[in-house]
Amino acid sequence: MQKDELHTIKFAGIVCLVCSLSLAGVRQTLRPIQLENERMDQQVNVLKALFPDFDPDGNDLSEEDQIRLFTEGRILRSNRDWIQRYFEEHITEETVELPRGREGKLYRLSRDGETVSFAFPAEGKGLWSTVHSYVGLEPDLATIRGVTFFDHGETPGLGGEASKPWFQKNFKGKKLWADGEPVTLVVAKGSAPDDGSNQVDGMSGATITGNGIQRFVNTTFRQYNETVFSAMRDGETTQEGES
Amino acid sequence: MDKKTKAIVFDPLSDNNPITVQMLGICSALAVTAQLNTAFIMSIAVIVVLCASNTIISMMRHHIPPKIRMIVEMVVIASLVITVDQVLKAYAFEASKQLSVFVGLIITNCIVMGRAEAFAMQNPPRQAFMDGLGNGLGYSAILIIVGTFRELIGAGTLFGARVLPESYAGNGLMVIAPGAFIIIGLIIWLQRTLTGKYEEA
Repeated sequence: MQKDELHTIKFAGIVCLVCSLSLAGVRQTLRPIQLENERMDQQVNVLKALFPDFDPDGNDLSEEDQIRLFTEGRILRSNRDWIQRYFEEHITEETVELPRGREGKLYRLSRDGETVSFAFPAEGKGLWSTVHSYVGLEPDLATIRGVTFFDHGETPGLGGEASKPWFQKNFKGKKLWADGEPVTLVVAKGSAPDDGSNQVDGMSGATITGNGIQRFVNTTFRQYNETVFSAMRDGETTQEGES
Repeated sequence: MDKKTKAIVFDPLSDNNPITVQMLGICSALAVTAQLNTAFIMSIAVIVVLCASNTIISMMRHHIPPKIRMIVEMVVIASLVITVDQVLKAYAFEASKQLSVFVGLIITNCIVMGRAEAFAMQNPPRQAFMDGLGNGLGYSAILIIVGTFRELIGAGTLFGARVLPESYAGNGLMVIAPGAFIIIGLIIWLQRTLTGKYEEA
């Protein structure tokens, strides 16, 4: 009996040791690749917001083709190094102050010293999960250039459609700011009316995800607007006044 | 392949299918089959885990103390699943994001534990491996069938590529879990009608 119990304890000890050591080994070996994936994913999402026609599935293109596509306003993820270099050369990440002492990120894409677009992160509750997104703005700080929704746990095929291009394309050209005040962007139920109102097509069967997106895109814009964007607008007017 | 090995591998494909006959692993069959892509990756992950866990547990079967038998099985399975999850995160990042928690939940997939208990504990490693392969394939077959119907009827696409015309609106029922229940139910009905096998209630 005694011998049995000793064997049991020894066996359990060995199993635990072998399993934990091999798991630690796996984690250590794969961690750098995983971190690289996560960084890449984040950069691709920022790029998607900055370039609405970004095509993440394009592959096997030469660098020349990529640059050509890029100058046409499209950019592809096929070349990781290229994207990373592009990110380092043209996109600046600033830490900005938001209301109530919070901090936020602001991405700025510049070409030939001129700001082409801005992007800020926004996130909020959908139906099941937190939906993450980046919202890209034109230099006027009012018109949406592109959006991306990612890293969510919404129902595939319903709320999960938020990460599909057809949904995200709707946002292009919609306003978050007009006539000196914030305007509310509305995610419609079903198709958005074609009357120039500030609405985007909703996802059928995903009202709550749509409402969540509508809420956090508008509120996050307002937060950035209160401190960051309003200061930038003021800065611009003074500069114009001086020149 | 001798007759016995053949039976071990091919029985679970239909006559002893883990989902439709043994009624195991239904939870994940609902969760990951809205799209074929996720169903496919999940299938591969389960096959790998099943083969490996069956083989390892079978190799240890004479040494495992009976008192802690199930805990040891669980530790082996959990370690394998975590390894698969980590590998997916490194080499199939997009897919692992879509599968999210469901890869981790293979640990609780009754098929893995069920085969370890029912087969690997009594049989030599080679046969245990074959049993894992067979059951993994049987599970995958159902996942792929259900995934095909759900993606086609639910979204009009297969592997994300459009098959039905753009005007096809998509059936919302197929996209949510009840759609999978209905399809699995129909498969079970069809299978039992064809094989003439019924479970005595």
